[in-house]
Amino acid sequence: MTIALAVSFAVSTCTGLLLLWLAWPRTAAWSWPLATSLGAGLGSGLSAVLLFLWMLAFGPTRGFPLAEGGLLVLVALAAARRRGARHTGAPVTPSHAPASRRLVVVVIAFLVTLGAAGAAFVSYLRRYPHGEWDAWMNWDLRARMFFRGGEAWQTAFSPALPWSHPDYPVLLPSLVTRTWLYAGGETLVGPALVAGTFTFATVALMAAGLSALRFTSQGLLAALVLLSTPFFILHGTSLYADVPLGFFFLATIVCLALQERSGGATYRFAVLAGIAAGLAMWTKNEGLLFTLALVAGLLIAGLSGSGWAISRRQLLAFAAGLVPMLVLAAGFKMALAPPNDLLSTLNLERTFTRLTDPHRYYLVLRAYGGHIAAFGSNGLGSATAVLTAYLLGLGVNRSELGRSWVRAVTIALVLLLAGHFMVFVSMADELSRLLKSSLDRLLLQIWPSALFLYFMVVRAHEEVRSGQPVTGRAEVGHGVRV
Amino acid sequence: MTRSGVALLLILLYAGVSTARWVRRAAAWPAGSAQDEITAYESRFRLLRSALPARGVVGYLGHPEPTGPTPEDSNAAALLHFRRYLLAQYSLAPVLLIESTDHELIVGNFDPESLPPVPRGFRLVRDFGDGVLLFRRAPS
Repeated sequence: MTIALAVSFAVSTCTGLLLLWLAWPRTAAWSWPLATSLGAGLGSGLSAVLLFLWMLAFGPTRGFPLAEGGLLVLVALAAARRRGARHTGAPVTPSHAPASRRLVVVVIAFLVTLGAAGAAFVSYLRRYPHGEWDAWMNWDLRARMFFRGGEAWQTAFSPALPWSHPDYPVLLPSLVTRTWLYAGGETLVGPALVAGTFTFATVALMAAGLSALRFTSQGLLAALVLLSTPFFILHGTSLYADVPLGFFFLATIVCLALQERSGGATYRFAVLAGIAAGLAMWTKNEGLLFTLALVAGLLIAGLSGSGWAISRRQLLAFAAGLVPMLVLAAGFKMALAPPNDLLSTLNLERTFTRLTDPHRYYLVLRAYGGHIAAFGSNGLGSATAVLTAYLLGLGVNRSELGRSWVRAVTIALVLLLAGHFMVFVSMADELSRLLKSSLDRLLLQIWPSALFLYFMVVRAHEEVRSGQPVTGRAEVGHGVRV
Repeated sequence: MTRSGVALLLILLYAGVSTARWVRRAAAWPAGSAQDEITAYESRFRLLRSALPARGVVGYLGHPEPTGPTPEDSNAAALLHFRRYLLAQYSLAPVLLIESTDHELIVGNFDPESLPPVPRGFRLVRDFGDGVLLFRRAPS
């Protein structure tokens, strides 16, 4: 069973990695760490979509692993055929900054924290292998419905169990079902493997993305802060969908950053960003709000900047990646999922009363302020306080801050928070309880993206030491290099 | 020490405190034979599963009653009642459990010590022990 689960992980990761190899622009240098971390998450997302389509056609049958294995072979053959015509696996532009003592310290701190967090993650899952409430009342319940239901797997969307949110997208239950199909039976290691994949792929993507786009020290520091955020690791073990959703948010933003570094020579990274945003929609309903906020951010940043023609092409490429997932998600909502409980109980009069109640705005605003200020508290202080002090110590890299994608993502994250704010104000029946139970999870979803954005614009130690606001390794002499 | 050095130290301190927390958590490694609460609770339903149809809808009756002398007690009882219902549904999926007596079969999920009454119009099919029972509608 352990080997079968390892194979399930390897198949999705290798498929994702090889597809990235095929899609990676020829003008951008290949980065194994970046592509592997991105491939692990995007490959899992692709596997979830494939299994859903497979179930629509054949049900949750044991033939799926074979079919997926066949797909991997085809992708591997395509990658091998194109090997000569593509980038040759050259590393990312070599660092122009020699390794300093500080970098050595950061590397050691990262490795120690990674080891400790990994051990704590496994220990916690051994104690609570079923995860927390939402895992067994929603995500893994649905996976059991799929796996045990056979031909009747669509019972999982029965409106008879409204508390299980049967309208929620099914990326996570599909992935859990997939592990059981590989293993040949239900095992609690399946959901744990899915959780571990997304939790540590997020850390790896953070480190690899910033290392490729800025400096190794910057990437490791960001990953160190993420690993040190107690709620990130603990919530990863809860087997909820928030950490996977956070991965897809981060993947979208990393691809947008890569896109801007590529200039107008290629729009493949924008297509990948669209795919990642689509997978976010396939993970949780919040993914739709994120995508809308991001499109608005890209539009606003494009219109306010000087290169509207490039922004327009970038948006079109983003849409090209997004549309297939949008069609799938829309089809699911229209054909299989019952109405959303929040929307179906929406009452115009009651909503208007809530919207005109200033006390509700005050309550939500106060909760936002309190939860953001305290986010990532670990006994020493909150992560937001530590990062504020760090920013004061290092300062901002103005050339990074002025980039179009930074404006777009900043606008998107603000819009996303504003959107959640209005949902709390207008829809929540028990406002205090809902704020208490879900606000930290909503913040956790955007935490990796916010950290990535922060470490992209804050000055690196290498820049401070050289006294120059250099723009990082990606642009030194290579306008289109990643 | 420079300002940037102090800033770096701050992040390392933050990471150090979290690492100490992770080490403590990792050290609380459960014994190999220890069974978690939900797995233990699920095992109560193992025999019942084989007595239920492979799929379909069955009724559900559970304990405790969601009432209490104070609102806090009522809330606590309602939460416990709901949690037990959810865990029963999680255990018995893909059969759908509906909290009602409108179905041919009813799953009873009670405290092991309690002596629940048989619902009106039903007969006891089997007592699986540990407070788990199965009722079937009696022929009228």
